[in-house]
Amino acid sequence: MQSERFKAPWLKLYLALVFILMYLPIAYLIIYSFNRGATMTAFTGFSWQHYLDMFNDLRLMQILVNTLIIALLSALLATIIGTFGALLIYQMKRTGIKNIFLSLNNILLVSPDVIIGASFLILFTMVGFQLGFGSVLMAHIAFSIPIVVLMVLPRFHDMDTTLIDAAYDLGANRWQVLSRVILPYAWPGILAGFFMAITYSLDDFAVTFFVTGNGFSTLSVEIYSRARQGVDLSINALSALLFVLSLMLVVVYYFIATGVATRSSKKAGHGQLKVVDPQ
Amino acid sequence: MKTRYSAYYALPYLFWIVLFVIAPLGLLLVQSFNNIGGHWTLANYQTYFKSGTYLRMTFNSLWFSFLVTMVTLIIAYPAAYIMTKLKHAQFWLMLIILPTWINLLLKAYAFIGLFAQDGSVNQFLTLIGIGPQQIMFTNVAFMIVAAYIELPFMMMPIFNALRELDPSLINAARDLGANSRQTFMKVIFPYSLSGVRAGVQAVFIPTLSLFMLTRLIGGNRVITLGTAIEEHFLVTQNWGMGSTIGIILIIAMFLTMYLTRERKGRGKQHAK
Amino acid sequence: MGAIIEFKGVALTYGATEVLKAINLTIEPGKFYTLLGPSGSGKTTILRLMAGFLQPSAGNILFEGQQINTVPPEKRKVNTVFQNYALFPNLNVYDNVAFGMTIKGKSPAEKAAKVDEMLHLVKLDGYGQWEISELSGGQQQRVAIARALANEPEVLLLDEPLSALDYKLRKEMQRELRSIQQRLGITFIFVTHDQEEALAMSDWIFVMNDGKIVQNGSPVDIYDEPINHFVADFIGESNIIPGVMKKDYLVSFLGRDFENVDGGMRPNEPVEVVLRPEDLDIVSEEAGKLVVTIDDQSFRGDYYEISAHDDDLNQWQIQATNPVEIGQRAGLYFDPEDIHIMRLHEDEAAFDARIEQYVEDEQDEN
Repeated sequence: MQSERFKAPWLKLYLALVFILMYLPIAYLIIYSFNRGATMTAFTGFSWQHYLDMFNDLRLMQILVNTLIIALLSALLATIIGTFGALLIYQMKRTGIKNIFLSLNNILLVSPDVIIGASFLILFTMVGFQLGFGSVLMAHIAFSIPIVVLMVLPRFHDMDTTLIDAAYDLGANRWQVLSRVILPYAWPGILAGFFMAITYSLDDFAVTFFVTGNGFSTLSVEIYSRARQGVDLSINALSALLFVLSLMLVVVYYFIATGVATRSSKKAGHGQLKVVDPQ
Repeated sequence: MKTRYSAYYALPYLFWIVLFVIAPLGLLLVQSFNNIGGHWTLANYQTYFKSGTYLRMTFNSLWFSFLVTMVTLIIAYPAAYIMTKLKHAQFWLMLIILPTWINLLLKAYAFIGLFAQDGSVNQFLTLIGIGPQQIMFTNVAFMIVAAYIELPFMMMPIFNALRELDPSLINAARDLGANSRQTFMKVIFPYSLSGVRAGVQAVFIPTLSLFMLTRLIGGNRVITLGTAIEEHFLVTQNWGMGSTIGIILIIAMFLTMYLTRERKGRGKQHAK
Repeated sequence: MGAIIEFKGVALTYGATEVLKAINLTIEPGKFYTLLGPSGSGKTTILRLMAGFLQPSAGNILFEGQQINTVPPEKRKVNTVFQNYALFPNLNVYDNVAFGMTIKGKSPAEKAAKVDEMLHLVKLDGYGQWEISELSGGQQQRVAIARALANEPEVLLLDEPLSALDYKLRKEMQRELRSIQQRLGITFIFVTHDQEEALAMSDWIFVMNDGKIVQNGSPVDIYDEPINHFVADFIGESNIIPGVMKKDYLVSFLGRDFENVDGGMRPNEPVEVVLRPEDLDIVSEEAGKLVVTIDDQSFRGDYYEISAHDDDLNQWQIQATNPVEIGQRAGLYFDPEDIHIMRLHEDEAAFDARIEQYVEDEQDEN
């Protein structure tokens, strides 16, 4: 009965409209990156010119590399720190303390970007830390840690604690239990956390804008300063490039997310063996 | 389970909590009581509450965030509801998530082209006979772009809440004689409220602090709390006042979370 | 034979809750033991104390005469088969079974040989490369047993390992576990709440209730001579009626005197009388020692489960091979040795002493 009602075409039309509006600006950006002209208002013909401009723009390429380095490095470090943080929270027995830590963990997730940016700026200035690559990297690690914790923690909680008992029972020591049982089990969550951390880093503008200082820039900051000066179609080309990159990240992420399922179906070749099933 | 691990592994994490969670917020609070010369003072708060400008700015920011939240809610709720009825719901969910992976700045940048005096939107308006309008640097432009950026963050939690609804609850309601309208009002909508709350939190708070949009799209006509903070920190270098506004923003954030919290009792029953 | 595991006054408390109360028990090598009791009776706690996941609040646990109260699980020569199997989902069957040996750094050849041997033992030859998720519940069960045994424990602890299996598979695994235990000759300690399972598999049963061992003995002893109401009720179905032991070998209940085979009690001591449903025969009203009215019957495959009430409105459960008519009045017949007597509030030590005493008396008389 329910599904019949939803055959009403206007409902699907509405949804289609929402999706079109959601993707229209992105499509618009990408289409105009192939414009022969120099504006986003009139498409005068196909051209790779803006891509050439982009790749020849050494400053932009340097910033692109910086951005990727910051993203990968901060995601890696945040994943390591966050995974062990999640382990710490997982092992807390007193729910009161556990909740305090969870709240502390989540503060940066719910805090508005400007607050994080401004307070980090005060922090770095107070301790006399030079603004630039280091401060941006530290800030990115800092705001990525809580999302890693949130991605990993459910995997730990999901894990049957008798697996740990079983490992001890079979003679494993603490480190072996951690490296052979707990971390492999949480692996999909750890990878998911890593990818979330990468996207957080690539997506950030506000925090970076506060702590970047003069000499160092990331793509977001660069786009902001260029966009304030008006339209520049090499930014469109860049956005097309980033869109493809995001798409790839999403695909990789979904492969990881469904990784456990694919792993076992991959072994479907065992099908013939099932004849010897003792039941 | 016994405590088989020491907190040794987690030292960097504890270090992070102290240095990057507790310390910055503490410093922000301390800074809000400092004047430009670095002396302890209540002046920032006095200025904030006495001068109409700051209060008006705060009210404006809250009002715009409220409008943006309402717009996204009105668009997102039916869309999320329809989505739960489709096959391949996972695929559609991915389509919602994908735009959130695209850099915010690029999305804002797209609208600079779209909304330009001779941009595509105005070309379209001319085509249907309305004629070109000034769109860029208006309140409406700011709201449209903000709503566009925040829409997925409203859709996701609502979609998730609706999808978690056990279909047998709907069948049970129908079985007990409720028509589809009653089923929606009595079962589906109350159940999805947790998603709506999460969505409102995920949209309202960030919208309060958006600052680059006001600069790029709003043309400084809309001043949000975020813009004011950025202005004080990076332009006028009045960190004390900036921190004070930051504290106000944090209070506004907690207030929002408090008002949209899961209600105990009745609400809890719906959620489980 | 010397004891392999001993509990001496072992108690465990969480805050104010006493989970175990001064447990004494002795486990001898090479036998199949069962800890039987309802959930929350403390049987799994005893298993976890043996495995080393818990430490006693009082008393001592000895392994081959050595106190092992605080020895961690990885250093104990016992292994556990967990209720939910606890197989590592990221490892395949081979790596699961080899886990203990991998930890100990055994050579690949040694591992391969042992894994093959163990998989053969549990009838899973050729399953080494399978993923855990591809196995049925019964197969996972077998892998869990193989994994624990591959570590060559002296004692294997099994924590309700069959509870997730369906009836037929459970029966099959009961037989197999018993035969594996006899083949390997090591000690098995099996935890269950299923009395049928306990009776079928064990050499020796510990019946537990409320953190205490209420009775221990061979399956036959426990079935025939339950120490109290709880055991009688828990081990099979029972008809329990209040009575008075007038003198040795004469008990009175339902207003009549019956000859029986118990003794060693005070004259006119109030007792509880146990009559097993399968010991009761339905006969004509005249031939019966008691007269009942049939209330209901249900067919159970190999017998009829009949419920009835006597004229004092006591409920009776009877198992009969032939059907009866509902509402019919019938006689119940039983032999003197079918009457089991339980003294009120008798503990295990006193019970054992009395049984011994009157067995001696009987021998003296003869």
